Amino acid sequence: MDKKIEELLEKGKELKTQGSEILKKEKKTVSRAFHAWKDMDHHKGDVHTGELTTAFREWRGVKDTAYDFAKWLQVWGDMSLMIMKNPVGSVKGLWKYRWFSSYLQTPMFIDAQLTGLRGPQLRIAREHMRMIVRFCTRLLENTFKADENLNGPNALSDKIVLFDEMMPIHIMAGFPNLIGMPSQMAPVYITSLLDQQMQVHYLDETENYGLPADVCPLPSAEAGCGIAGDYPIFGKCYITSSMPCDGSVMTNIFQDRYFKLPTYPLTLPVRYLDEQAVDYAVEEIKGMIRFIEENTGETFDWDAYFEAMERYNKETEYEQEKWDVNQTAYPQITGSILAIYRELSYMADAGRDPRFLKTDERVNKIMMKAYREKNPCAKEMRHRAVVWSCPAHYYANFGNWAEQCWGIDVLIDMESMMSMKFINTEDKEESLKDIAWTYERMAMRKHTNGGYANVLDELWKVCEEFHADMVIMYSHISCKTMAGLQGLFDDQARERGIRFIWVEHDLMDPRTVSRRHMRESVNRYMRTVMHEEPVDPSLEDFDDEKEW
Amino acid sequence: MKDLKHLFYFENLLQEANNELVQQAKKEGKLAIGYTCFHMPEVLLNVDNCFSLRMRAPRTGSLEIATYYMSNYTCEYCRALLERAVEGGYNFLDGIAAVDACAQMNRSMENILVQKLIPGDKFFMSHVDVPYKVTEHGVEHQAEQIRTKVFKKLEENYGVDTSDDAIRKAVEEHNKICRIITEIGEYRKEENPRITGYEFHILNLVTYVCPKYLILDRLQETLEEIRNREPDEKKNYRARVVIAGSEIDDPDFTKLVEEAGALVVADRFCFGSFPGRQEIHIGEEEDALKAVCRRYMEDSQCARYMSHEKIQARRDFVRKLYEDYHADGIIYEQLKFCDYWGYERALVSHIMQEEYELPVLSVDRPYRVGSSGQMRTRIQAFVERMEIKKIQNQRGGALHG
Repeated sequence: MDKKIEELLEKGKELKTQGSEILKKEKKTVSRAFHAWKDMDHHKGDVHTGELTTAFREWRGVKDTAYDFAKWLQVWGDMSLMIMKNPVGSVKGLWKYRWFSSYLQTPMFIDAQLTGLRGPQLRIAREHMRMIVRFCTRLLENTFKADENLNGPNALSDKIVLFDEMMPIHIMAGFPNLIGMPSQMAPVYITSLLDQQMQVHYLDETENYGLPADVCPLPSAEAGCGIAGDYPIFGKCYITSSMPCDGSVMTNIFQDRYFKLPTYPLTLPVRYLDEQAVDYAVEEIKGMIRFIEENTGETFDWDAYFEAMERYNKETEYEQEKWDVNQTAYPQITGSILAIYRELSYMADAGRDPRFLKTDERVNKIMMKAYREKNPCAKEMRHRAVVWSCPAHYYANFGNWAEQCWGIDVLIDMESMMSMKFINTEDKEESLKDIAWTYERMAMRKHTNGGYANVLDELWKVCEEFHADMVIMYSHISCKTMAGLQGLFDDQARERGIRFIWVEHDLMDPRTVSRRHMRESVNRYMRTVMHEEPVDPSLEDFDDEKEW
Repeated sequence: MKDLKHLFYFENLLQEANNELVQQAKKEGKLAIGYTCFHMPEVLLNVDNCFSLRMRAPRTGSLEIATYYMSNYTCEYCRALLERAVEGGYNFLDGIAAVDACAQMNRSMENILVQKLIPGDKFFMSHVDVPYKVTEHGVEHQAEQIRTKVFKKLEENYGVDTSDDAIRKAVEEHNKICRIITEIGEYRKEENPRITGYEFHILNLVTYVCPKYLILDRLQETLEEIRNREPDEKKNYRARVVIAGSEIDDPDFTKLVEEAGALVVADRFCFGSFPGRQEIHIGEEEDALKAVCRRYMEDSQCARYMSHEKIQARRDFVRKLYEDYHADGIIYEQLKFCDYWGYERALVSHIMQEEYELPVLSVDRPYRVGSSGQMRTRIQAFVERMEIKKIQNQRGGALHG
């Protein structure tokens, strides 16, 4: 009996020792995880592979993490609010349109843009992103309320003037009773940023239909969405445009068949620097206004238009200040945020929504304070870079990666550099000239149209202005406008001694050139030509081909 | 059929951009003005002592240098022109009246310009803006572009007369060629045509690349010959086709199609006769420059025109050719990497087949296609398809078994 008791006591001791060892191990694991979280700086690669984003958030110090977490919740809040406003429509939309589910990835998309950001940079990025989310939720809200596929003919649909997404929308400020909606923005453009796999389906649709695979994936996906029948149907009339490139011109023949609406093609001069081209451009704009009036019964309201253009002008001023600050030794807004926000505020809103201006005011305040305090925008700033040509939609945070991994700070990119002209808000005729000027210099078009000097000579000018020592040159392989100058870029960069990193991509098709392949272009250059070591080695190579 | 007397001579003229007639005209003090696209009204480049020359790069081989400058994802025609310019093949030109109608051709021309590949103090290159739709203000815009970018250069650099009278005279000369080509082309409507698609392609192409006044006599003689030509008793084709699409300056493509059994009865492609070889009429009171611009814009079948009316008109035009020339099918072709025709071909080949119920072959092709076995096989299969359809129609329904 005693022996049995002794055995039991012995076993008890053993179990106790084992238990305490397990407990110790557990403590170590928890502690390791906590430290890993705190030292996220050294494991940021995991964020991009999806390993950590779903488990816990990036550690940015107590204050920044708390701020970021609150803002992250706010994004979910904005999205939930949109669903709650129209729950039936949203659920129907989820079943009807394959692209809608991509919006669930919005918080993760934002996280990817914000990796490694601290202090003012984090706040600036969050401010921009909040506005982008609010813009998108309103766009989706209107989409599902007006969609005739979901609701049948309805009054809201009749108030909508559909626009090609590549068409700046300023003129709709003169029709305050109508809603201008970019037709492909919700299904194609934004989802291509959120989810790298999203547009693959539409690209396959067009290619199976017979369209060559060598055309630019953006207009190709736009056509594919039409072939698949995945566009919501609404609108009284449609404004298409010849902007910015040949592919955009041609995708219109697919939209023309799909939407079956009275259509006005706004076709501005390609050689926009010619003085005599102004009259033609203004006639085109006037024709568009007449067309909208005739098809909707509304009259162009000059007062409303001027009021919005005043807001737009202020937004332009703020944009200019961002560039000015980035030209100094203390740039404050680097990476891709500058372009993504600018594209929406300039192209898709254009002074109509006062919330954009309020966002600009808040951002400006944070930016100027940080600039005065000589705040470094990144942990390590090794190179001042300009990004040229159009970026990969499926890798919108490439600039952020370059900064975090190699200390390459992207100070400006071609996509942001649209028209900066102030619109006349007193003289009607002059104002229309300014609008024509502004439209002619929309995203991409400003550089890729009107002659080689606008993109080639302009790059060297921008490099000087921003004191850049490096150019990340996107080689969007389907963009023939840029490809046609590739040799001249190379020749002239060599003559000027500018470090030129070619990064191939296929805009919306990650199967052609993966994100990893894009990173390799930079990694190779930085190691073999620059002989540098990465700022964060965990970011140099990781597999994110199957991620959003 | 008996061979055409001057066909071999005409074929030889197509072997070089700077052919013997171009050289002769240059010796006579004429000015050679190159152009690449229908959007630049050819007839306006034949004013006074100028002659137009639609740029080709015959016998193109390697495109290595052009590929370095323009990547391997761009149109081979554009790259071939650049490569030929690098080789010095266009040094005889006095000017290039280029248009900014398609980005790739524009870049090709800009590469020639930036690299100063064509010598000459007076050499000029224009980049004319071209509207995407036909409107009155569009016509005025294009006329103004030509006035300031082409005519002004011709006047200032070479003292060329670009007056209204000079334009009208050039139109008269142009119409002489058009009348001949149109009459020859009409014979393609015959059930057993006295001219092949290949022969027509050669004759028509020559009119684009040679000084017109130097080929007029031989063309006239050829027309007389064709008027009296006896076709073979037995038809030399299995099916008749319309070719529609982008740039073809390679008659070997037509030859390949015909060798596969399909007679080419209508040519609706850039460098073809539809449009381009129809007479131009200008009213007494009209501004000649504007009238010519309007006519070219209205006639153009370029896929770049994006108004709904023009989009529909393109489809109707091809269908009309199919009917008028008693074709059995349509070949929609696209020069590889051409964005405009890539989209147009993809969509319209579906429409023609599914809505108009016409047999269509949809292909893309390289700049030089002559020896492509793949293309030959596809056309042979298409010919068989058209034959089967004909048999089906004769039997009044589908074939079973």
